Amino acid sequence: MDEVFKALSDPSRRSLLDRLHLRGGQTLNELCEGLAMTRQAVTKHLAILEDANLVSTIRHGREKLHYLNPVPIHQIGERWIKKFERAKLVALGELKRRLEQEES
Amino acid sequence: MDISKFKPAIVYTIYIASTPEKVWQALTSAEFSRQYFSGFAIEADLRVGGAFIARAPDGSVHIDGKVIECDPPKRLTVTWNVNWPELVEKLGPTLVTYEIEPAGETVKLTMLQSHDRTISDDILSGGRQGWPAILSSLKSLLETGSALTIPMKPPERMLAALKAMGIKTPM
Repeated sequence: MDEVFKALSDPSRRSLLDRLHLRGGQTLNELCEGLAMTRQAVTKHLAILEDANLVSTIRHGREKLHYLNPVPIHQIGERWIKKFERAKLVALGELKRRLEQEES
Repeated sequence: MDISKFKPAIVYTIYIASTPEKVWQALTSAEFSRQYFSGFAIEADLRVGGAFIARAPDGSVHIDGKVIECDPPKRLTVTWNVNWPELVEKLGPTLVTYEIEPAGETVKLTMLQSHDRTISDDILSGGRQGWPAILSSLKSLLETGSALTIPMKPPERMLAALKAMGIKTPM
């Protein structure tokens, strides 16, 4: 679990996860597009995310595709969120989303 | 079926302190699946072309599929078709692949959900919500002997998107 928190502590790595959350199955080239990071830096961050099991990769033909793997984050949730709290948290999250949408 | 046309939409990985044989058994037998998969019984005829079914606790067939690839205890691919009227006609078949690899003293289990066309995020939300819970519960069962009780129901946005496509959902 230390690895997961360490991997998540960096804003560049979180932005890579955001990009994979928006669209799974991207290649390294696709992930580098429009980013202010060097290809080398992206490769390094992806390796840290993969070691923490936050990114899964597969070979698809000649390409290596990257996917967000939310399983460790789910396990963190299971550790600290009690069963009966889940519905309330979903409702609160939904309320926040709606109120913030109305404002913007 | 030409599985080279399918591209994974969801790829999840989990490490389990167990053996490949036990993980394989847990993925393919009703005795285990009832514990980690909300009471659903996996009934698998483990040969290419054999039936692969997930039976709901009320006895109805929820997943109606076939075995596509079978290499115990390393790789299993099945058609994972939810048995709702019009669903396969409208979405095409869904493939689920399990890859099991030894990783030191643990096992790396990778689950891939693949489609032969682009599936909307609303519809994929079902798998994105369900699989992490199923895999975490499976891990817990194999490591501690007891599964997690995680309440699961299909996300509203998925049901709404399926209904909008003319698929009859039971909820």
